[in-house]
Amino acid sequence: MPGATPRSTVTLGGLPLYAMLVPIPIVCFVATLITDIVYWQTAAMLWADMSAWLLLVGLIVSLVAAPVGMIDFFGDPRIRELHAARIHGIGYVTALILSVFNCLIHTRDAYTSVVASGLALSAIVVVILLVASWNGWVLVYRYGMGVLPTEQQ
Amino acid sequence: MKVVALEVAAIAVLLALAGCGPAPIDPSLQVGPNPYLPPIHQYLLPPMHVAKVVGWNGATPTVPAGLKVQAFATGLANPRSLYVLPNGDVLVVETGGPPAPVSRPKDIVMNWVEKMAHSRTKPGQRILLFRDTKGDGVPDQQSVFIDHLNSPFGVVLVGNDLYVANTNAVMRYPYTTGQTQITDPGVKLCDLPGGPIDHHWTKSLTASPDGSELYAGVGSNSNITENGIVAEMDRASIWQIDRATGAHREYATGLRNPNGLQFEPQTHTLWAVINERDELGPDLVPDYLTSIRDGAFYGWPYSYYGQHIDPRVQPQRPDLVAKAIAPDYALSSHVAPLGMVFYSATNLPAHYRGGAFVGEHGSWDRTILNGYKVVYIPFADGRPSGPPEDVVTGFLVDGDHARGRPVGLAVDGKGGLLIADDTGNSVWRVSAASP
Repeated sequence: MPGATPRSTVTLGGLPLYAMLVPIPIVCFVATLITDIVYWQTAAMLWADMSAWLLLVGLIVSLVAAPVGMIDFFGDPRIRELHAARIHGIGYVTALILSVFNCLIHTRDAYTSVVASGLALSAIVVVILLVASWNGWVLVYRYGMGVLPTEQQ
Repeated sequence: MKVVALEVAAIAVLLALAGCGPAPIDPSLQVGPNPYLPPIHQYLLPPMHVAKVVGWNGATPTVPAGLKVQAFATGLANPRSLYVLPNGDVLVVETGGPPAPVSRPKDIVMNWVEKMAHSRTKPGQRILLFRDTKGDGVPDQQSVFIDHLNSPFGVVLVGNDLYVANTNAVMRYPYTTGQTQITDPGVKLCDLPGGPIDHHWTKSLTASPDGSELYAGVGSNSNITENGIVAEMDRASIWQIDRATGAHREYATGLRNPNGLQFEPQTHTLWAVINERDELGPDLVPDYLTSIRDGAFYGWPYSYYGQHIDPRVQPQRPDLVAKAIAPDYALSSHVAPLGMVFYSATNLPAHYRGGAFVGEHGSWDRTILNGYKVVYIPFADGRPSGPPEDVVTGFLVDGDHARGRPVGLAVDGKGGLLIADDTGNSVWRVSAASP
């Protein structure tokens, strides 16, 4: 089927819901790394508190985003076959599991809620998300996932 | 769907692991002058184990042979501390802390745990007076002594001046013997560190034997500086307050949450019970009973039990840690001692004279509950001279249900031991079984 693009199963007004949701946790987890680094450098608790909120918001939005992404993944065989989709999915899920732990570590009191294990997890999550996000962009901008085909089938 | 199942399984296993920690040790290894201190264990998920509140439903606490226990007052609204006036009238402080602010998600959970652990009754924020005119240990008159207080806790009478430690100030009221109600608005002697956080809000109060100075316990504003070190200004210390001018100085520092301030009757030394820090494992850090040395630093927040560094506190202060001294007598971990009284009366059997009773409010972050009882620590020559003994128990039933939780203690005019029970909303009186 030349011209056909992989289809997104869960849509809102015809647009893929996953693409709307997934930037929120990604931004939250990247911001967590930044606030963790600032806390590490300043020991000012405000920054550690910000990290704890960012992690929580990232995880709450992921409660919706991750299942939506999975439905899209299983909803169209053309997506399942894409290497980039698999890397994106596995990367995001791994980042989420690590962030659950990071959230628990951030419930500790004062310095060890961030340094060193919290900060390390925040950094690892951002590296994983870079790879996962790159592959997500490949899905959209190379394979046109969820994009209207130029020729109607 | 296999991936989903795997993911769910992985999270479940990891969360189960997160809840794991070392098994709690026998608390008897952590009492007395040289408690065993295990290595630090920092949790992913601290065990939040609070006894479910079930109330007394007609039952009473348990005491050993030779003693009897009876309800002194029931149906109260969060009685937390007690004071006996010279004429034998008993003051019962009905109180509760200010609402705890939420600065991060954990606070929401912690506030919920606090709520579960306590009585649902709205605290009275007042002092009640009970009078026993028949002398049978059961009061037959009751009045509202002082109303509309601000999270009061400590009370002490010096001459005709009655002092009440609200959470934010020491107030002075004129008192004449036999008075059953004070309507005078009182005069502020000095401010105490109160809100907006006011984490440890109970301000214990006592007076020096000569009556010239007051001593107020001012607890820390956090578990371990998680509200920032600035919030700890003038806190985690015992204040010495000049009764004439209201001027104060920090008499001793590094005391996370000092309560039960009392002068030992033989040596006239100040003693207190201290709630130590949480979340370093089920057996760190032991709470303690200690004499309070003028100018001494007891470690909080930088170190515990002398110079054991707490890694959660940054920046550290090696200069202060070098000065930190170990307390006198450990009570074991997380028992939450909130009341203490020296027993120098003669009603109780000779075995209980000269030492200290301690009210242990009970643990929340330990899989096996600890505390929830009143213990007796024998003293000789003004120092603890033996292991603590359980005296008043039965606050727990079926292992993890709380009928009540003991807090403040006092000795009444006839030598009975009074126990404020803030969760059972009662005051209990322990006396000799046969007079």
